[in-house]
Amino acid sequence: MALYNFKKIMVVPTAKDFIDLTLSKTQRKTPTVVHKHYQIHRIRHFYMRKVKFTQQNYHDRLSQILTDFPKLDDVHPFYADLMNVLYDKDHYKLALGQINIAKNLIDNVAKDYVRLMKYGDSLYRCKQLKRAALGRMCTIMKRQKQSLEYLEQVRQHLSRLPTIDPNTRTLLLCGYPNVGKSSFINKVTRADVEVQPYAFTTKSLFVGHMDYKYLRWQVVDTPGILDHPLEERNTIEMQAITALAHLRSAVLYVMDVSEQCGHNLEQQLKLFENIRPLFANKPLTIVANKCDVKKITELSEENQKIFSDLVADGIPVIETSTLTEEGVMQVKTEACDRLLAHRVDTKMKGKKVHDVLNRLHLAMPAKRDEKDRPPFIPEGALTRRKAMEVDAPKRKLERDLEVELGDDYVLDLQKYWDLMNKDEKSDKIPEVWEGHNIADYIDPEIMKHLVELEKEEELKVQAGEYDSDEESEDDEMKEIRQLAKQIKEKKKLKFMQSIEKDVHGPRMPRTAKKSHYVAQARRSRSTTRKRKREPSAPPLSRTRSQSASRPPRDASGVRDAKMLKKVKMMMKNSQKDMNRMGKKGEADRHVFDLKPKHLLAGKRKSGSTDRR
Amino acid sequence: MPQNEHIELHRKRHGYRLDHHEKKRKKESREAHDRSHKARKMIGLKAKLYHKQRHAEKIQMKKTIKMHEQRKTKQKNDEKTPQGAVPAYLLDREGQSRAKVLSNMIKQKRKEKAGKWEVPLPKVRAQGETEVFKVIRTGKRQKKAWKRMVTKVCFVGDGFTRKPPKYERFIRPMGLRFKKAHVTHPELKATFCLPILGVKKNPSSPLYTSLGVITKGTVLEVNVSELGLVTQGGKVIWGKYAQVTNNPENDGCINAVLLV
Repeated sequence: MALYNFKKIMVVPTAKDFIDLTLSKTQRKTPTVVHKHYQIHRIRHFYMRKVKFTQQNYHDRLSQILTDFPKLDDVHPFYADLMNVLYDKDHYKLALGQINIAKNLIDNVAKDYVRLMKYGDSLYRCKQLKRAALGRMCTIMKRQKQSLEYLEQVRQHLSRLPTIDPNTRTLLLCGYPNVGKSSFINKVTRADVEVQPYAFTTKSLFVGHMDYKYLRWQVVDTPGILDHPLEERNTIEMQAITALAHLRSAVLYVMDVSEQCGHNLEQQLKLFENIRPLFANKPLTIVANKCDVKKITELSEENQKIFSDLVADGIPVIETSTLTEEGVMQVKTEACDRLLAHRVDTKMKGKKVHDVLNRLHLAMPAKRDEKDRPPFIPEGALTRRKAMEVDAPKRKLERDLEVELGDDYVLDLQKYWDLMNKDEKSDKIPEVWEGHNIADYIDPEIMKHLVELEKEEELKVQAGEYDSDEESEDDEMKEIRQLAKQIKEKKKLKFMQSIEKDVHGPRMPRTAKKSHYVAQARRSRSTTRKRKREPSAPPLSRTRSQSASRPPRDASGVRDAKMLKKVKMMMKNSQKDMNRMGKKGEADRHVFDLKPKHLLAGKRKSGSTDRR
Repeated sequence: MPQNEHIELHRKRHGYRLDHHEKKRKKESREAHDRSHKARKMIGLKAKLYHKQRHAEKIQMKKTIKMHEQRKTKQKNDEKTPQGAVPAYLLDREGQSRAKVLSNMIKQKRKEKAGKWEVPLPKVRAQGETEVFKVIRTGKRQKKAWKRMVTKVCFVGDGFTRKPPKYERFIRPMGLRFKKAHVTHPELKATFCLPILGVKKNPSSPLYTSLGVITKGTVLEVNVSELGLVTQGGKVIWGKYAQVTNNPENDGCINAVLLV
């Protein structure tokens, strides 16, 4: 449960669905055909398999439910308490206990009936025993109807709980209903909590995240707490109390100075005193909200005294208004700083710190002479830092301008240009003027600059700046370079050699006449045929692509017509087998699937049982 | 992250989709067509189960419709005569009824003399030896066939020890030995799981009774201390007879009815 992700719990089916599911699964996934004349052990095995399969399914599904749901003893006490408040620990444990009992009962039933089936001596008896076994298991599941319904509801609610990490930096907001806690969290984080004028708008815990000092902070919004003793609190208030009790966080007690929430300051103070024991060991800040309506200085004497007492106690009181956003940042920084300091303190007091501290050593450079060398901060950074601290009005940003002008806004970067004549800022720049390309003349002294640049380059080359850095290379690189050079040379040599190699041997020049015998063979073949038939096509006709000097491939290297015939015969013989098998060539070793499984295997289901 | 009731919150803030209500209405009106399509196209075991369930639903629907219609229409009232009135030819018939009672009493006395008790299952099919016993072959050449194994459910007492295997003729396998029976009280209509004390009588044969074979119709003696019955004298009843009503070897359990 490291991430406290309760969204991964599988759906808990209703009892009826569960039974239907398992039984139909048994019917589909086990063999269905058995006859009276089979051997008895085969019949027994057939029915035992069904009983065991059903038992296995029930067992697996129930075990999964049991492991998915969080055990209240294993999760963080915050979540254990929260679940107790929301779902009643006893009921929850009972429901899971019932499921566990059901699982064991189903296992026992299956075991008993499988044992009995060993003595079954006829198909009828085995079948009745299987029927009794499945019926018993399903009856056990039917009795779990209530538990399963309850667990499904718990699962749905649990998956919607906000994921609050109990160990990280947290700010907790508490106070009376309607004082402005949800408005505060909406201002500080991106959580979109509902804000309404009626009390108990927030009915459960909400979490939002914010960044401060490059760290992630959680802000937890709670439902309002009314002032009555712990026993009388309802579920909604108990959630807030649970969060207060278990989360080690900075507490922001929000008070409504204007008393618009319906409770005056004495009541709020009384509540504060009542829940003060929960604030032990937690850095506390009082947020005096709704100060746009009424400031503390406008209050009566006793009320002001309340606040001054609190300040005297050492609890910072900060005036805020979530409407005008004044003081919100101040509260945030104050609370975060105090919490960080508190956490660091706690860690320092702990035992693990010394392991780390012993290994830390801050090294300061030793002074070598009396010269003072302070850190260098550029002027611009200093001024900007000062401006930030003072919170001075920044220059007007483009964004502000855009917001102001609305639809009329046009981005105009030319107004920032630094020209000698200010009026010319918004002028359009022509591209061509009097036949010259303006871009060439932007710098009137461009030729001079070019000459200077070239001189510089020469100097640099002479100085050897562009030489490859050989000394900086280590031995490995040098070896690699040398090896590469060798490989390149070898490759070049091989290439030259291959060009010089005479692969084809001495060749006749292209214009020389064809070989006497080949031409004769071809002529003789065609002329013998020609005697029987009418001369339909010219015997030695050749296509445009074929050249006269080269013999056709099937007749090259052949001495006479008889050899040609034999050669052709051999070729055809070797191809006969391949053609008969429908192979593409010599190397085609494809094996055809003459009895494909998808056509010949499987049960005779709907659509294929109308013929035998 | 979406927290708590984010769906309802979104609906509250942004309202429904523009076609949401249309779609919902159309889907609901399509339901009847979808259901009939499904009922026509389904086949196999699923179809049988579905049709059975649907039939039960339809019966209920028809009943409620009829009930609603009854209020609207007027019906003929069949009860013309009041309760106490009797037609003339039935007056003065008391003598006859008394006679009937007497003959019943005579019949009962005769039955008791014969030793026939009234049991819920008076007649039961007799089980032959081939049904109850299976022949076990033994010997070096598997020729000897004098051993028998009981194939029905049986009861052996607490202090039961087998005879030496070489000499035992009837084998009662451990898997078929039962100690408890589910006994129903006919008046209370409640069922209890009570331990068996012994087999009183097996209707098929006294051999089965002595072996403790339990078949349908066997009379058992069960331990009823759980029920807490007390005699008129104040003694606690702890044993009663019960008759077996099912075939235990087919069902894997012994169901019996208490003989009160």
